[in-house]
Amino acid sequence: MQVTLRIFRYNPEIGRTKPTFDSYNLEVEPTDRILDLMEEVKAYHDGTLSFRRSCAHGVCGSDAMRINGSNKLACKVLVQDVSSPITLEPLLGLRVIKDLIVDMEPFMESYRSILPYMVNDDIPEDGKERLQSPEERARFDDTTKCILCAACTTSCPSFWSNGEYVGPAAIVNAHRFIFDSRDKAASERLEILNQRKGVWACRTAFNCTEACPREIHVTQAIAEVKRAVFSGSLE
Amino acid sequence: MTPILTSLRTTLTGYLRYRGREGHYSFLMHRLTGLGTLLFLIIHILDTATVYFFPSLYEHAIALYQSTPFMLGEIGLVFAVIYHGVNGLRISVLDLRLPEKWTIATQRGGVRMTFILSTLMWLPAAGVMMYNMLQHNYGMFGG
Repeated sequence: MQVTLRIFRYNPEIGRTKPTFDSYNLEVEPTDRILDLMEEVKAYHDGTLSFRRSCAHGVCGSDAMRINGSNKLACKVLVQDVSSPITLEPLLGLRVIKDLIVDMEPFMESYRSILPYMVNDDIPEDGKERLQSPEERARFDDTTKCILCAACTTSCPSFWSNGEYVGPAAIVNAHRFIFDSRDKAASERLEILNQRKGVWACRTAFNCTEACPREIHVTQAIAEVKRAVFSGSLE
Repeated sequence: MTPILTSLRTTLTGYLRYRGREGHYSFLMHRLTGLGTLLFLIIHILDTATVYFFPSLYEHAIALYQSTPFMLGEIGLVFAVIYHGVNGLRISVLDLRLPEKWTIATQRGGVRMTFILSTLMWLPAAGVMMYNMLQHNYGMFGG
C-alpha cells in the first residue's frame, strides 16, 4: 500500500530555523511500524533526518513523538492503525533540538527531583534482605512499568502551560517509591509534591493515561499521591 | 521569543492541535466554561457598581442585557455554569474519593455522561429563557 509520511523538520545548524514539513511517498506493508517507515526515509530518501531510537520494541522509550497529533511510540504503532498522510511531530513542551529530537533534560530534572531511588539506611532484620509480601509488592506494581518516554508529561495541558510542573511521569515514579513498604522517604517525596509545581498542578485532563504506551493508570496514581499528601496516610 | 510567549504558544498549540480523547475535550470545555463564567462575573460586578457611581449608565446596562445578543449569551452562560459544576463534581468525586475509577473506560463514559446530564439540566432553563426573549424582544407568544 502507498502512504504519505509528513515529517516535522528543523535544523538550525544548516539554516532550517523555521519548522517545516517534508513529505515522502512510500510503498509499505500495513503491518509495518511507523519506526520502519522512518528508517526507510533515513536510509533511502534523506540521511539527514534525525530521531531517537534504540530497542525498537517499546521498552526503551526513545521514540515517543506525536503521530497524527497524539503521543505514541513510533515502534509500537502500525501503519494499518493510522490514516495517511501520517504526520510525525516532536513531543510538545520540550525544546526541539533537531527534527524529531527534543531536549529531555527538563523532563529528567523533574524526574530526579522526586528522589527516584530506594531510601532506607536501616539494617534489614536478618541482615541480608528486606522482605515484602505479594500484597505489599502489588501496591505499586503498576507504576514500576514506566519507561520514561515522556509521552504522558508532554501530553499534559498543565505541563504545556507551566514547564515547572514536574509532570505525570515524575509523579508516577514518586508513586512507585512512596507506596513501597521498604522505602523510608515517602514523607520527603510527599512534601516535594505538595508544592505548586507538584501534584496540585494536575487538572485531570487524562491525556497522560491515554498516551501511556505501557498502559499505566497514570491519573489514578496521581490521585493516590494527592490523597496521600492531604491525608498524610499511605493506606 | 520570551518564555511567556513560548509557553502561550505551546499551550495554544496543544489545546487546538493535540488529538486527545474525551478527557482532552472535557478539559477544554471545563476551562472555556470556567473562563466564560468568570468573564460574566467581572462584567456583572462592573455593571452593578454603576448603580452607585453612575446611575444613568446602570439603566443603559439593563437595556443592553435585554438585547437579543446578551440574552443568547445568558442562555449560553447557564450551560457554562451547569457544565462547569457537574464536571467539577465528577472530577472531585473521582479524584478525592474513587481514584481507582480513573480508568480509560470510566473516563470516556463519564465525560459523555457529564455532557448529556448537563445538557438535560440546561434545556428547561434554556427553553424558558428563549421563550421570554422571543416574547419580550419579538412580540411572539402574545408579547
